[in-house]
Amino acid sequence: MDTTAELLPESALREAVDLLVRLVEAAGALIIFVGAVWAFGRFLLTMVRGAGPDRRFNRIRLTLGRFLALGLEFQLAGDVLRTAVAPSFTEIGQLAAIAAIRTALNFFLSREIAAERAEIERERRKETDGSRAPAEPV
Amino acid sequence: MTTVLDLAALATTAFGLVAAAVVLASARRLVPALAVLLDFLTAAGLLRLAGDPDWSTIAAAAAVIAVRKLVTAGLRASQPG
Repeated sequence: MDTTAELLPESALREAVDLLVRLVEAAGALIIFVGAVWAFGRFLLTMVRGAGPDRRFNRIRLTLGRFLALGLEFQLAGDVLRTAVAPSFTEIGQLAAIAAIRTALNFFLSREIAAERAEIERERRKETDGSRAPAEPV
Repeated sequence: MTTVLDLAALATTAFGLVAAAVVLASARRLVPALAVLLDFLTAAGLLRLAGDPDWSTIAAAAAVIAVRKLVTAGLRASQPG
């Protein structure tokens, strides 16, 4: 028991996990922020190029949603890492609350992304069918 | 790191406000603009949750996300067709 304590003291483990958690969470936050900046740039570009159909905005939102989902995955990974070292009940409670929020949001985001994607596909198919169909007699 | 995250969250909120105004001006419809604003606000909430949040930050993020879900569901339900 003593040998184990010497080889891997709890404080060293805690420091290592803390560093890893910070790295993973920073990566997640960076992904979310980059997604927001990208989406902001695209919205401005869309406006400069002239007002397009709503579908163009939906596509940008879809990509922003994907960035958010990816960032959330990283942050959830950080939460899982943090469970390796959780000293007090308050910290465990906070961790549970944050993980619950992130998991719920990830679930809803995935559903929204799937719904938006289906809608975009439906509109694209409708447009393709419309352009192929012969002109109706008046 | 917390200060950087706070700044990033603030910038994301500002981006959301401007982007929503852009969408409102381009599409001349409120629903897509609101959806864009809520997306950016969610991103800002997630940025605030990173780092070492206290209970009030967690509660605020949860409230923003719950409101966002409610509004999105309401918008979907009120859309014709």
